[in-house]
Amino acid sequence: MNFSVHRAEGVVCFVSLQNPRTLIRHPSILQIMRISVVLLAILFTTLEVLLATPADGQGTKDVEVTLMLQNESLVTAVKKIEKATPFRFVYRQKEIAGVDKLNLAEGTRTVAETLALILENTPFTYREMNRNILIVRRETANENTDGNPDIRSLEHTVSGVVTEAEDSGPLAGVSVILKGTSIGTATDVDGRYSLTLPDGGGILQFSYIGFETREVPVNNQSVINIALSPDVTALNVVVVTALGVTREERSLGYATQQVDGEKLTFTKEQNVLGSLAGKVAGVQVVGSSGASMGGTQKIKIRGVNSITGGDQPLIVVDGTPISNANFSGSSGVDLGNLGQDINPEDIQSVNVLKGPAASALYGIRGQYGVIMITTKKGASSHKVNVELNSAFFVERAGNFLPYQNMYGGGSSQTWRTLPNGDKYVDMQVDESWGPRMDGTLVRDVYSFYPQDPTYGQLTPFVPHPDNIKDYFETGYNFNNGISVSGGGDRTNFRLSFNDTRIEGVEPNTFLRRNNVGLSAGMDITPKLNVSTNINYATNNAQRPGQGSEDGVRYINQWFQRNADMNRLKNYRYPDGTFVQWNLRRPSATTGEITNFAPLYWANPYFLAYENPSSDSRDRVFGDVGLKYTVLPDLTLSGFIRSDMFTQNIESRNAFGGTGVPRYSTGKYQNREMNYEFLAQYKKDWNDFSFNMLLGGNIYDRRYSYLSMATVGGLSAPGFYNIEASIDRPSVSSYLLRKQIRSAYAMASIGYRDTYFLDASIRNDNSSALPEANNSYWYPSVSGSFVFSELLNWGPLSLGKARVSYAQAGSDLSPYSTTSFYNVGTVYAGSVTANTLTVPDNLNNPNIKPSFAHSYEAGLDLQFFNGRLGAGVTFYRLLNKNQILQLDVSGTSGYGSATINAGEIENKGFELTLSASPVQNRNLSWDIMFNISRNRNMVVELYPGITVYQYGSTTYSSVTSYLNSYEGKPFGSLVGQAYQRDEATGKILLDNANLPMYTDASHDFGTVLPDYTGGFQNVVRYGNFELSAMIDFQIGGQFFSRSKMLAVRTGLDPITTETNDRGFNVRDPVDEGGGMKVEGISAATGEPVTAYVDPQVYWGVVGRRVYEEWLYDASYIKLREVRLGYTFDKGNWPGLPFSSVAVAFVARNPAMLWQKAPQGIDPSELSTGSQGISWYESGQINTVRSYGVNLNVTF
Amino acid sequence: MKAMRKLNLILACVFLVGACNNFDEEINRNPNAPSEASGPQLLASAMLSLPTLSSTPQAQFMAQYLAETQYVTASLYPQSSTSFYGLYQGPLINIETVLRNSKANNELIIAKVLKSYYFWHITDRWGDVPFTEALNGSENFTPAYDTQQSIYNALFDLLEEAVETPVVGQTSSDIIYAGNMDRWKKLANSIRLLMALRLSKVDASRGQAEFNDALAAGVMDSNEDNFVFRHLADANNQNYWYSQIEVQGREWWALTEGLVNEMKPVDDPRLAVYGNPSRETSDYVGQLYGDTEDFDTEKYSLLGNSIWRQDAPVHLVTYAQVLFAKAEAAKLGWIPGGDAEAAAYYNVAIEQSLLQWTGSTNGLAEFLAQPGISYNPAQAIKQIATQRWIHLFMHGYEAWAEWRRTGYPDNLVEPGGAAVPRRQIYIESEQFNNAKNYTDAVQRQFGGEESLYGRVWWDVP
Repeated sequence: MNFSVHRAEGVVCFVSLQNPRTLIRHPSILQIMRISVVLLAILFTTLEVLLATPADGQGTKDVEVTLMLQNESLVTAVKKIEKATPFRFVYRQKEIAGVDKLNLAEGTRTVAETLALILENTPFTYREMNRNILIVRRETANENTDGNPDIRSLEHTVSGVVTEAEDSGPLAGVSVILKGTSIGTATDVDGRYSLTLPDGGGILQFSYIGFETREVPVNNQSVINIALSPDVTALNVVVVTALGVTREERSLGYATQQVDGEKLTFTKEQNVLGSLAGKVAGVQVVGSSGASMGGTQKIKIRGVNSITGGDQPLIVVDGTPISNANFSGSSGVDLGNLGQDINPEDIQSVNVLKGPAASALYGIRGQYGVIMITTKKGASSHKVNVELNSAFFVERAGNFLPYQNMYGGGSSQTWRTLPNGDKYVDMQVDESWGPRMDGTLVRDVYSFYPQDPTYGQLTPFVPHPDNIKDYFETGYNFNNGISVSGGGDRTNFRLSFNDTRIEGVEPNTFLRRNNVGLSAGMDITPKLNVSTNINYATNNAQRPGQGSEDGVRYINQWFQRNADMNRLKNYRYPDGTFVQWNLRRPSATTGEITNFAPLYWANPYFLAYENPSSDSRDRVFGDVGLKYTVLPDLTLSGFIRSDMFTQNIESRNAFGGTGVPRYSTGKYQNREMNYEFLAQYKKDWNDFSFNMLLGGNIYDRRYSYLSMATVGGLSAPGFYNIEASIDRPSVSSYLLRKQIRSAYAMASIGYRDTYFLDASIRNDNSSALPEANNSYWYPSVSGSFVFSELLNWGPLSLGKARVSYAQAGSDLSPYSTTSFYNVGTVYAGSVTANTLTVPDNLNNPNIKPSFAHSYEAGLDLQFFNGRLGAGVTFYRLLNKNQILQLDVSGTSGYGSATINAGEIENKGFELTLSASPVQNRNLSWDIMFNISRNRNMVVELYPGITVYQYGSTTYSSVTSYLNSYEGKPFGSLVGQAYQRDEATGKILLDNANLPMYTDASHDFGTVLPDYTGGFQNVVRYGNFELSAMIDFQIGGQFFSRSKMLAVRTGLDPITTETNDRGFNVRDPVDEGGGMKVEGISAATGEPVTAYVDPQVYWGVVGRRVYEEWLYDASYIKLREVRLGYTFDKGNWPGLPFSSVAVAFVARNPAMLWQKAPQGIDPSELSTGSQGISWYESGQINTVRSYGVNLNVTF
Repeated sequence: MKAMRKLNLILACVFLVGACNNFDEEINRNPNAPSEASGPQLLASAMLSLPTLSSTPQAQFMAQYLAETQYVTASLYPQSSTSFYGLYQGPLINIETVLRNSKANNELIIAKVLKSYYFWHITDRWGDVPFTEALNGSENFTPAYDTQQSIYNALFDLLEEAVETPVVGQTSSDIIYAGNMDRWKKLANSIRLLMALRLSKVDASRGQAEFNDALAAGVMDSNEDNFVFRHLADANNQNYWYSQIEVQGREWWALTEGLVNEMKPVDDPRLAVYGNPSRETSDYVGQLYGDTEDFDTEKYSLLGNSIWRQDAPVHLVTYAQVLFAKAEAAKLGWIPGGDAEAAAYYNVAIEQSLLQWTGSTNGLAEFLAQPGISYNPAQAIKQIATQRWIHLFMHGYEAWAEWRRTGYPDNLVEPGGAAVPRRQIYIESEQFNNAKNYTDAVQRQFGGEESLYGRVWWDVP
């Protein structure tokens, strides 16, 4: 009982860590905490029963067992006792096999009594050692006069020193075990061990991670010294492959890359998928600002493989495919992709299956690669591990656009005046082309509010240089997790709980997240195992909007440099009137403002506090499985896997803002079930090893939503309900069902651990495909050759060549093969009409699934026992017959048509290098580097159509496109460029000396990067560890609407530069001001140098010439830095815990280099859920986080 | 047990290949949208798109009815494209579906009239456009462009067909005429009449013939017959200008100086409807079209409140228009009666316009007596065209077409040196999606130069 009380204290301690203020504010969190405390209490009580180990001194005479035998064998009897007691038996199977027909009357006796009775008429007796009971022949025991076996006389003690073969230094912690028993010990710091054995026979097994395991027969020796050599086969990393099958990496004919969970969690990135950035060769991650608190992380494996850009990999957690849907749009609140619901603290490892060869067994769902997440499990250690993890981060918005501080709000430098002659700030204009901020006394917008203390007063017109920065707050991220794991011989479990609370860097934004994870397994019989993984996640958030017109983003682009953010902070007068900065001008007759409704933009604080967007999600995913070992080599398993979530999204538009008051709410529910059957056969036969697998899967999805919004306003302020809709609300209810039925087989054969050949095939039947056309086959074949086995060249520890070919596919959404009509608006006037319309997309009854063909070859090399490693992969991916909603000429009556078309080719290489330049007991330095190059080509589109339009964005009637042209790489940015003189390449100027521009069909080239990669360094000194992670991208481009608008509206410093005549560009042109413009006159063909009004110049260029706003997306970013120290019993003997690790962590501390201008982060392009990031528009500032992380293991 | 059934199914999939692709038929049937649509439902949705033919700032800039009070850009006639896709993908494909599937005469009549009106509108704005090969879905994703002349010919036939189709029974969901088929036929003839007049310069004899045929077949004879879209005081069916000015708070449009200068000196009773008095001076003050410097919402007459009421109607084809057409035809000698008839039609046209806009004929006599307003045979064409322009207020594209044909009003300004466009530029997507046909059309009409200043077929200098 002591045990559980002690642990319960641990929990109480955990609760007290919480900030009591926030707890009270969020009763639901408190509720969950309470439930979790109760859960833990129940668990610990259960544990105690499960793990009831005899206390010291509890022997066979102290432990009782209830047993009855009827004609049973000694083996059975022993197993029954094992099952009911903590004792383990050691015996030689052959010896006791013949002892049977034992009988014992039912009764409860001590184990000693029981054994005495059972063994009475047999030639055997027993000896007790710790918790082991040895069954030995009587005659070998020297019986003394009272007939009790004399243990001492038979015992054999062996001792010795274990050293490192290379430098003869002692090896501490080497496990020394009598083979086949649980008798064992570990070496001390000097490498010494001493072990008492039942007799002088048997084999001692010496094993140590990273070293070769050695076995030495005891042969009555009392001293056995041994040297261990580093283990070359330790390079035989075991990796998790498709369907959760663990394989030796050397046997794989394709590239996979594994990342340890601990490498993903220390910066507490809210969307853990973002932590993959730079860590895996060939995987490009484009993130979003931390201000979104779990915003979208786009993952592309080996380039863009789908012309629609929708090529997100499948995410699989412990074998369960989970939804990575995204409810965000391209602007607005970025809710992030749903893959983030996994608790980062639960992740043991992440394996990225990069190409179809690796993921072929996922068939129709694996075309774009698979990210396999394996969670931590409890170990059968008879020990309960409790781990506590706490982190606290401070978050700050950074990377601000530069702003000018010379000219304030307005559209002209001439002051506007009231009837009484007072100058006033032009509150109607949301730009900063106004008068100079020279302290002139003026009526600012607040002076027009009769409620304001400054009503009617003049105040100096001055800049507020930090007005944008002032809007942002210091955010924090407080993360607490606890996990309990353990297990007995037949059970294992792990239970974890995590609580995350983030206060965003923008006012009134937050995220609360709780995760509960349980994984447990149990051998019901030695052959039958039942296991389960259950993950529960709940999210609750209010997030800021992103996108140039969304929420408060306008302050970066449509604002007045004289606006004082601190003045706007108290956004409401005591009488309820809202404080706004953008109003209609005062009356020309009275000089008063009577309409205090905001004109174009509401006060940012009004938006933050009155118009919040909120979202919440509850999610459960996991599996229940049975595994039956039919034969030692043949196992059958069945799993039911499920992923269920309910997502709620709400938004409000309050009275007193712009537009009509509005409320919208949506409830989205998804349930994905996978029913899985798998037979696995593994057999080694002489030099051959076989691995075979046969399986089937039924995928069943049901998705539905109800989404509603008020129309025409709300009936009462503060009442946010669909019933408050003034006009008929817009509502939609939606249901989607889909099933995929699959069968698959895989066979792998290995010869001498050197040659491996794999083949797999999968048949998929999708309900979303046309009935006659719904069954497809996906084969793969791969081979690997471990040539180092033949070379036997010392420095080369591992050399492997691999090659593979595979096909994978993908289908389409349900209901895309039959035609239907959209429900239109209802017109209820003097005539009532319910309207129906032909949809813009033309469905296709003859659609086929798309096919990906992948070819891959690679080489893996390890030198000097893994001190130096290199892996290189070349690949070519051909994605054919893609299912597209191809944009067609609207004159056909349809905007797009679902068709099979296109061929897109990706080829490239991935290179990973690793090195450990220093590696000794005190100091180690590990370096990991990866880089990948992908080249993309749209080989073919559709007969007669040579362009595929991926997307377009329009602002101020100017559109730009992301197009794909046949014969060019995917994703050309297309828009309006400068018209240039053919001969000189100079810009053509019109009669007003303003740049001329082309129509929106100029191809600026692809937005895809040339190279992506990462660089990681870890230095360990004693118990200190310092690590840093850098990721980079070379090439790629995007255009920035934020920068364009900041310049166009006169916020950017370029609009207040001094020209080469020594005047400010805003000074009148005829007085020496103006922007210098050089080009060729279109009319005369002659070179022109002229000075023009910057407001006019940028009015054209900042609106129509996208070429000017096009930036290279190359960057080198320092993503993570961590300095940690671990206290463990080795260096802190008095430590009451197993270990305590403290770390200082910085996430996103610096952009080391970027080609794009300051204030725009090319690694966080803001396009929400769009598959491709090709423009930046109203990006939220980067968030830099600094914190401390505490990890306690009990 | 459900799980057991699933297991059986899995095992069947694994061991009996091909046994598991028979899905429940229901599973891929879309429960979220109907697979059948009735003719009236499709036609009603095509009618809901009618206001888009008029309710856009660009239309008013083309006719210089409105000037921008802020963010002066779109009114400067930038060389940018305008999309016609929405019209094909929206109303036209719905109409075409009815034409293809319906057996009901009344539906076919309405469909043919609507189709004619939409295509007439489209070809007048862009020139040659896809017509015969258009709206065929997967059968032709790259329809060729028909010449405007052939489209006109086809539309004359289509309108005649509509009129000759016998009316059978009742029809529902008719937002425009509440099932009054007689009015649909009058509309068909009126459209034909106005289209015929459009040929006055390019093919006067064909124009005259069609004009007289249309007249003989029966055109509108009262404002009751007007082709009007009636918005509702309901956010789902509200006037575009209401959503801009009231909902989004955009006081971005003032009456142009040109318009106010035509109306104010002659005390035009419609001015009080078209605009509000200036808040600064309480008088009607127009803003110089395309002025990029002196703009101020206080100083000028903003768009009139009743024009942008939530349920303000949109007038598309009106009786007064027909009367102005007859006046012009009489003056041109297309119909008999000469100046006397022309003057009579002209006066009634103004009367009906006043009635339409102000609800009464108050002030008509005084107005008609104003110098420059009263019919003057020497100025007749100019007077008719200018008064038509005033009548067509807020139906900018139609007024712009008439300006291109007649050259009136003759006071339109050229902002920043940019002349009033003579057509609209095809959407860039056509260069991507329908490249060959697009290039052919631009080559055929404008010698390969895509611009706002290419002239459509009937726009003869």
